[in-house]
Amino acid sequence: MAEALQKKLQSELEKYKQMQKDVSKSMSARQKLEAQLTENNIVKEELDLMESSNTVYKLIGPVLVKQDLEEAKATVAKRLEYINGEIQRYEALLKEMEKKSEQHREVLSSLQQEYQKATGRAVAKV
Amino acid sequence: MHTTRGTTMADKSKRNIDPQVRVDRLREEHEQVVKGCDEQILHWKKVSGDYEALDDRLRTLPDHLSYDVMVPFGPLAFMPGKLVHTNEVTVLLGDNWFAKCSAKQAQKIVDHRVKYVKGELDDLLKTRKNFEARVGFTEDLKELSNKGSYVDIREEVRSRETVVTKGKQRVAHKPNSKPKLDTVLDLEEVEEEGKGVEADEEYCKILSEKELWARLDQLEKLEELQDEEDRLSDTGDTNGDDTTSSSSSEEEKEADCSQPEKEPGPKTSWATSSPANGQLVSQAAPGGDTTKDEDEQEEEEEDCLPTIYFSHTVEPKKVRICTGKNTTLKFSERKEHSLTHSKRKKKNNGTNGHSHHELHKITSPVDIYRLFVDVKNGEPVPRKSILKSRSRENSVCSDTSESSAADFDERRLVGRSVSHDDAPHSDTSDGHTEDDSPTALPRTPSRFEAFSGTVVEKDPMPTAVPHLTIAPPALPTILERKQEEGTTDAAPPVEPPKRVSKFKAGRQNR
Repeated sequence: MAEALQKKLQSELEKYKQMQKDVSKSMSARQKLEAQLTENNIVKEELDLMESSNTVYKLIGPVLVKQDLEEAKATVAKRLEYINGEIQRYEALLKEMEKKSEQHREVLSSLQQEYQKATGRAVAKV
Repeated sequence: MHTTRGTTMADKSKRNIDPQVRVDRLREEHEQVVKGCDEQILHWKKVSGDYEALDDRLRTLPDHLSYDVMVPFGPLAFMPGKLVHTNEVTVLLGDNWFAKCSAKQAQKIVDHRVKYVKGELDDLLKTRKNFEARVGFTEDLKELSNKGSYVDIREEVRSRETVVTKGKQRVAHKPNSKPKLDTVLDLEEVEEEGKGVEADEEYCKILSEKELWARLDQLEKLEELQDEEDRLSDTGDTNGDDTTSSSSSEEEKEADCSQPEKEPGPKTSWATSSPANGQLVSQAAPGGDTTKDEDEQEEEEEDCLPTIYFSHTVEPKKVRICTGKNTTLKFSERKEHSLTHSKRKKKNNGTNGHSHHELHKITSPVDIYRLFVDVKNGEPVPRKSILKSRSRENSVCSDTSESSAADFDERRLVGRSVSHDDAPHSDTSDGHTEDDSPTALPRTPSRFEAFSGTVVEKDPMPTAVPHLTIAPPALPTILERKQEEGTTDAAPPVEPPKRVSKFKAGRQNR
């Protein structure tokens, strides 16, 4: 019985670890998105500083591609929108994950207690 | 941000560890946050320094058309070169966006970025301050938990049940008590107070609301019962019922039990007045008819005392009146009772009560006289002596109050037997007067007639009036009586009730 419990506990623990990994991954992704958001915000602001005489380039691969200023602004705005959407998506995802991990933790703790009880009993019996 | 989240998670996971360790851990985490902030601040400071340098360079760059510079050629070598287009800069805006602009514009961009960096720095400084404060707090907390010199002051909130129940109790009582006030004020007051005391006592004992409510219900039932009784008595008074008398007498008894504690004040006041009365009587006694009347009054008053206690069932009305008159007498113990009785009478009877009672009693003073005579072994003389004994003893024989009290007790004992005997005696001896009291129910008019008969005797009353005037008469009561007089008889009956009314008025005033 104790062994079965242990196995279960182990599997649960594995699952929990996996979940934690996922959480941290999405967390880092979100942070990246955050950074990109700030960067793009800055770009947008600085593009606003430009005049029509200035030429704007976009680095695509190893090449600088000339872009129209207005076009560049539009793309940056779109990019900002996209980033914001992504951030929100990740937020929801994170919440859900946290919930799940909480549940998992509870299960784990209960399992741990059971396991401890079982082992304790076994020890007592022995 | 990441670090804070980490701390919360860590705290959660370490919940079951003892507080000391947790405090330590909290402090550690806080310190870590502060450290992270410091690092970031350093980084941003460096960035801002870079930007300042860049700004400097950009400012001086367009000063010349070309510069001789050493151009880095791979990681290892430099090549001599020339920097041209000094006013043409390609700026990395971020996210792989580049912009070709003049040095001036580049400066603008640099300014913008410096601004951003400054904001970032400010934020970091704020958070660092915040967490430093927290670190200090956790340090204090640690100290607090470590040292026993600090004590938590905790006040536990008790259940508010008591307060709530009190309010409810009051609410429950009010509706029932109000209607009663109309009919019988004193009685209810007494009862209510008694009940209140009881309730208080029980209140202490009772913890559960259920019991309390049950008790309340019980009390309400009791009150209702009494209410009915009171109503009956009221109707009886108007009709001159015997049943009413019995119920009222019972009530009075109840009142007696409770009253003495309540009214110590009135007692003293009456004591002062009573001696005067006694003197009056003694003075009047030697005289002719007038004196007789006075004596009779006295007799009534004095006699009433015994009857009060023992003859309730037989002659309830007499009892009441007697009690009313008793107040004038000197007997302190009785006075209290009489006071209460009189008060109740006033309230109970309202307009009609006074005259009827008086009629019963006073119908013919002679009758009363006879009654007492009968009581005293049938001989009028001994009876008289007994009646006078109090007044005369006080004046002539100088009997102590104790002796008089003892007398009183004796009389009471006698009174019991007498009262029961009284009815038959009176019936045989006096036609209508005594008939009234036992069978009285339907006969209010007859009583009035009887009263008119008595009027003759009370004509001399004026002599007593001056003495009575001492106590300011209560106008309303007089008016009531006058109305009654108008209905019943013309002039003669007026006086006796007036006299009584003045007594009562005196009491009321007191």
